Amino acid sequence: MELNPWLAIIIWAIIIVLMTGPLLTLPIFWSRRKPDPFRDMPFESGQVPQGEARHRLVMQYYPYLLMFVVFDVVGMFLFAWGISFTQVPKEASAFVILFIVLLGAPLAYALKLALNRENW
Amino acid sequence: MVVFPPTTPAELIALIIRILTSHTFVTIVIFPGFIHLTVVVIFLTWYERKLLARIQLRIGPLYAGGPGGLFQPLADGVKLIFKEVMVPYKASKPLFLGIPIMLVFLSALPFAVIPFGQHWVIANIDVGLVFIFAMTSLFPTMILLFAWASNSKYPFLGGLRSLFQQVAYEIPMWISTLSIVLLAGSLNLTDIVTAQQKMWFIVPAFLSFVVFFISIMAELERLPFDLPEAEPELVAGWYTEASGAIFMLIFMGLYMKLYLMSSLVTVLFLGGWWGPAIVPQPVWFILKTLIVATFIIIPRGVYPRIRVDMLIKIGWTRLLIIALANVFLTIILIDTGLLAAWGI
Amino acid sequence: MTTLAIPPDVAFVVLTVVTITGAILALQAKELIYGAMSLALSFIGIAGFFALLDAPYLAMLQIAVYVGAVVVLILFTIMLVHREQTPEMDERTASPENSVGLWLAGLLALAVSGVVALAGTNLPTEAPSATLPISDLGPVLTLQYPIPLIILALLLSASLLGALVLAKVER
Repeated sequence: MELNPWLAIIIWAIIIVLMTGPLLTLPIFWSRRKPDPFRDMPFESGQVPQGEARHRLVMQYYPYLLMFVVFDVVGMFLFAWGISFTQVPKEASAFVILFIVLLGAPLAYALKLALNRENW
Repeated sequence: MVVFPPTTPAELIALIIRILTSHTFVTIVIFPGFIHLTVVVIFLTWYERKLLARIQLRIGPLYAGGPGGLFQPLADGVKLIFKEVMVPYKASKPLFLGIPIMLVFLSALPFAVIPFGQHWVIANIDVGLVFIFAMTSLFPTMILLFAWASNSKYPFLGGLRSLFQQVAYEIPMWISTLSIVLLAGSLNLTDIVTAQQKMWFIVPAFLSFVVFFISIMAELERLPFDLPEAEPELVAGWYTEASGAIFMLIFMGLYMKLYLMSSLVTVLFLGGWWGPAIVPQPVWFILKTLIVATFIIIPRGVYPRIRVDMLIKIGWTRLLIIALANVFLTIILIDTGLLAAWGI
Repeated sequence: MTTLAIPPDVAFVVLTVVTITGAILALQAKELIYGAMSLALSFIGIAGFFALLDAPYLAMLQIAVYVGAVVVLILFTIMLVHREQTPEMDERTASPENSVGLWLAGLLALAVSGVVALAGTNLPTEAPSATLPISDLGPVLTLQYPIPLIILALLLSASLLGALVLAKVER
């Protein structure tokens, strides 16, 4: 009896959830429930926490997040080409190499903008 | 003979025995399946502590039973299950409790496509490599959400740093595997291993191996890329507020990810299950994976930490350039036919 | 050797429920973070649709790009907006002008079912059997559409540089 691979993945996913589910639900089930303000305080190395916890956001690396979105898509396109590299004539691969090279100059400029600490 | 709607108890038992011994069941539940995964991950926890202890001239776990404290992880697991699950003040309860399960889920799911032997794979899909990358690209989201959900400053800052670090090393990881895809001509992991029968891909794609190895050390947040979790800096980073069963699930998820990345290195670069036929193929696979895991664990006891902004800069500038250079080098190698002797 | 697989109808119904539930929750959520997570669920449903249509590569691309990158960006942007500035959504009531969306959706469903009923038995009963193996994707992309590939490179670089220049702080 053969399984369709996607069905096998779904069965595997269900088995993982079934086996690790009790690891979480059982301890919740048998732990104390009363909320205690001193026990539930966020940890700040012994001092009393003050101020909003989710307050300060690090904006220094924000350009890298934008670059990640773009290069994520680029990487996926390159994988599509990489599979059939040996079966495609050289002129077609030249276009993909041109694709990579054309993204090189914007990558360099984006890195220059991103590394300049005063921009963010 | 197995009859599908079983009418007598004997036929039911025959059907159950047939299912339990079928290759599919053994693959999913036992061998590269859930039981093997749990056992190896528990073993890796002990292995790391023992190895780091020997590097740091200590002894490590000793008294928990078994030779050399081998049952220490079981003792840890029992302790953590019985601890209280504390949700911090005004934290987001569904996220706080739900994300650790998602982490274990995302770490364990890609094992469905990793081939441990010629026929020992749970799901042989044609896009195996991209499936693994899609799953690992969901990790930064989970970490950011968990860090936000614990309503506390240390996890939030640590989570942001983790997010940027992991996002920075995703792209060099992908581009370095592009060289392997060029050499093997397929995204199916079984095909990639089969193409390494004559020569392991670490030889023509050595720079890719270096970039990939460094990238997975940054993805796993291991020293020297440890800053989001450094104790003098951020107590424990994004999982500071996790306690008891939550911590155990996160810990398990991190070690599963270590095993996943090590086995990915073995599949892509070290020839998977190929080896002299003295021992069965899966044994070679696990042996190579444990050697890779050793080399990932050892720097934790040896190197100092790298500062997080230097880390992100290295990921985006140096590693990306080296990975792209290796892609061009691989194109030249394949085109000039230097690798024809080894069937590429 | 019979191959056991999920019946496509069951998969279609489950995926539809997941996608639409995710989309509705994304619009209705009071906390924006939960809305972003429901959006991620909706994207995963769409990736499931791609896998159902025999395009597994596209499904993985959808998960890696949308759920992996775009949702992170959305979450980061939500966290950027300080808590007191998120709009208060507790004063919604079920008045007629607030349920315009529901009315429009109902009219659309009525129109579509009317068209299907009028078409009667002229609907195609089998899915088109064209499956594109993954190894064909590369040649199609590079041999048939090389110029769009180059235009795509220029478009990606324009969007990247545009986003960076817009986001940076002018000193």
